[in-house]
Amino acid sequence: AVVSSGINAEYGGTNLERLSRLEGVTVERYEKQILPAVLKQLVNCKDSIAQEYLMDCIIQVFPDEFHLRTLENTFLDTCCQPQSQVNVRNIIISIIGRLSNFAQADPSNIPEDIKLFDIFSVKVTQIIQSRTEMPPEDILVLQSALIKLALNVYPAETGYVNQVLQNTLNIFQTEEGRAKGCSNELGKLLRVPVDHYQDILTVLELDAYPKLFSFLDLNTRKDLCVYIAEHIIETGTLIYSHDQVDLLLTMIECLVADAPDQPSNQIEDPEDFECEQALVGRLVHQMTSQVPDQQFLILNTCKKHLIAGGDKRIQFTLPSLIFRAIHLCRVYHDLREEDEKWEKKVTKILQYINSLLSALVKAEYWDLSLRLYLQASLVCDAMGISNAETVGYEFMSHAFAIYEEEVSDSKAQLIAISLIVATFERTINFSEENHEPLRSQCFRAGSKLLKKPDQCRAVSLCSHLYWSGKNREGAGEPLRNATKVLECLKKAVRISNQCMEPTVQVQLFVELLNKYIYFLGTGCEEVSESVLSQLVGKIHEDMPGLESGDITKQIVKHFETTLRFIESRHQLTF
Amino acid sequence: MVLVLVIGDMHIPYRSDSIPPKFRKLLVPGKIQHILCTGNLCLRETHDYLKSISSDVHIVRGDFDLNTSYPEQKVVTVGQFKIGLIHGHQVVPWGDNDAIAAVRRQLDVDVMVSGHTHKLEAYEKDGKFYINPGSVTGAYSPMERNPVPAFILMDIQSSTLVTYVYSLPPDGEMEVKKIEFKKGDREE
Repeated sequence: AVVSSGINAEYGGTNLERLSRLEGVTVERYEKQILPAVLKQLVNCKDSIAQEYLMDCIIQVFPDEFHLRTLENTFLDTCCQPQSQVNVRNIIISIIGRLSNFAQADPSNIPEDIKLFDIFSVKVTQIIQSRTEMPPEDILVLQSALIKLALNVYPAETGYVNQVLQNTLNIFQTEEGRAKGCSNELGKLLRVPVDHYQDILTVLELDAYPKLFSFLDLNTRKDLCVYIAEHIIETGTLIYSHDQVDLLLTMIECLVADAPDQPSNQIEDPEDFECEQALVGRLVHQMTSQVPDQQFLILNTCKKHLIAGGDKRIQFTLPSLIFRAIHLCRVYHDLREEDEKWEKKVTKILQYINSLLSALVKAEYWDLSLRLYLQASLVCDAMGISNAETVGYEFMSHAFAIYEEEVSDSKAQLIAISLIVATFERTINFSEENHEPLRSQCFRAGSKLLKKPDQCRAVSLCSHLYWSGKNREGAGEPLRNATKVLECLKKAVRISNQCMEPTVQVQLFVELLNKYIYFLGTGCEEVSESVLSQLVGKIHEDMPGLESGDITKQIVKHFETTLRFIESRHQLTF
Repeated sequence: MVLVLVIGDMHIPYRSDSIPPKFRKLLVPGKIQHILCTGNLCLRETHDYLKSISSDVHIVRGDFDLNTSYPEQKVVTVGQFKIGLIHGHQVVPWGDNDAIAAVRRQLDVDVMVSGHTHKLEAYEKDGKFYINPGSVTGAYSPMERNPVPAFILMDIQSSTLVTYVYSLPPDGEMEVKKIEFKKGDREE
């Protein structure tokens, strides 16, 4: 009676409150008398703000048990009435939230026979379907509330979450235009499971989840994919099966390759693009299995997706795959006693690495592929089998080919040949049949550099190949070919003599003096006192004639330090 | 007190995905005066990250840094110490202490910093100090397949250099080792 006069909402609200505290208000009375009366008033009231306020009052003021009892048949049904102008969105969110808290406080609060999620899921779908003008934001906010209900109250039921997503998908797919403008809200909704399930693998099980991506505009989709990728890396989640990897990479397709809805004239900021692709490259390291055979499947799945990214992406993404493949070779090598097929498997991985390198070469990433060929040849060498030796030789040849044909800047050439020599020096398993031509190649390449100082330095670097370099026949012992070492250094001195610049010449002499001393220090007794004394004499001779300046000062200091070192280490004075 | 962060061989994204969170928590802006980076970042984003920690960042070029503006080697003076910085892939044989000592002689420095091997080291030899901060991400190197993530912090006060060697072994508990080096007049 008190309520039926309610036109002034506030007055009604206060009265409701008083009503709820009255003795004798049982759930039956609430269900049969109070609620219907209030709802009737509500439906007739034109003021939507008042409606919302009243509904909220009902929700807040009466106990949860009352709501549970009247939920399905009275409360939600009223909301479902299309004729009622009630703004259902906030009301439903409010009641879901309220009952969700009630359930989380104590799961036994919810009677067995009240399937909270099912009730809400069915009714909300009905409401959405019946209210065709409901904007997509409202639809999605409701779905979001449902998902949160599922996640909070029924955490084990991933199927519930998927159901909500599937329902959303159905609505958007079957009813034209209902999804229009929903990008932002949908993006928010799709982040909810990611945030909740710290483990992305659970999200990958929700088959409706990725299907909703097509309703996002490109930027929102990309943002979401970046969010997911960063989440995986930050939580350290490992994607350990190739099926999961396939699902994930398909899901974040718009990061991995050009999207069909990408405008063709779009100019991407190169820094942003680099960041974005580096993220994909980083993500590769999270796709890993402890089971080597499975890891190989993962590598193949990754390759399939990443190659589709095209030339502009592979410079950032393929190197990670190559290094994971290198790592896998080593794992198989470690387990060689336990796996009789290990050699075949390693051969396959090396072929895999080769295919990725070929892609990089084809895209003309010369510096990058040269360096990766060198790293790949090292892993071949570590395998210690003849198959791998052949491939390793191939890789070294590729590195040389790139060096000879594509590295044109003279500074870059010195850097590249030095790296080739330094890498080759570390190998131990090339048979002499392969080792010799590679040694010669290094020497030839070094002596053909354009600038004399560069030639001198490259050639002197080659001396190490004959000293600490190892071939298979040596069985772990270094070559220790003193004759060739001295030949190299002698050649280097000759080249220095041909340098026009006196300062540079003397600088090179001092460097070479240090090289001689290095070999003497590692047991090369053929570095005779007379060889040293000759070089020292030459430097003494030329030094006074040098132009004064900072560089000359440095050279003089270097020389003096070297002489002192020779004295203290080798008891030789010049 | 002058703090110098010695760090490098991140190899992001090629060999590693990120610097360990425990390290990132320590490397906050405003506390470190200088950064010496041995190289192999490999991309700009890691350079930006270093710049966010300190305004004075020195980087030398690693074999996988494609940025040609990074020098092959550098000498930085902090207080009384001349510090040499080189990545180390240029030094043949890789990881050879005598070869690195030759570079030190050439650069005429008190402290020689190099990387590349991913082998964490800090030792004194013939009155000079040699540092390798290893790989801060624990990235693969052909010489150290699974290095422990590490970096080094130097505290320079007049003629004393205290190094704090930070490492993160597999069990997750960060370790810190302290090594002191006094600059002497003693020459090789």
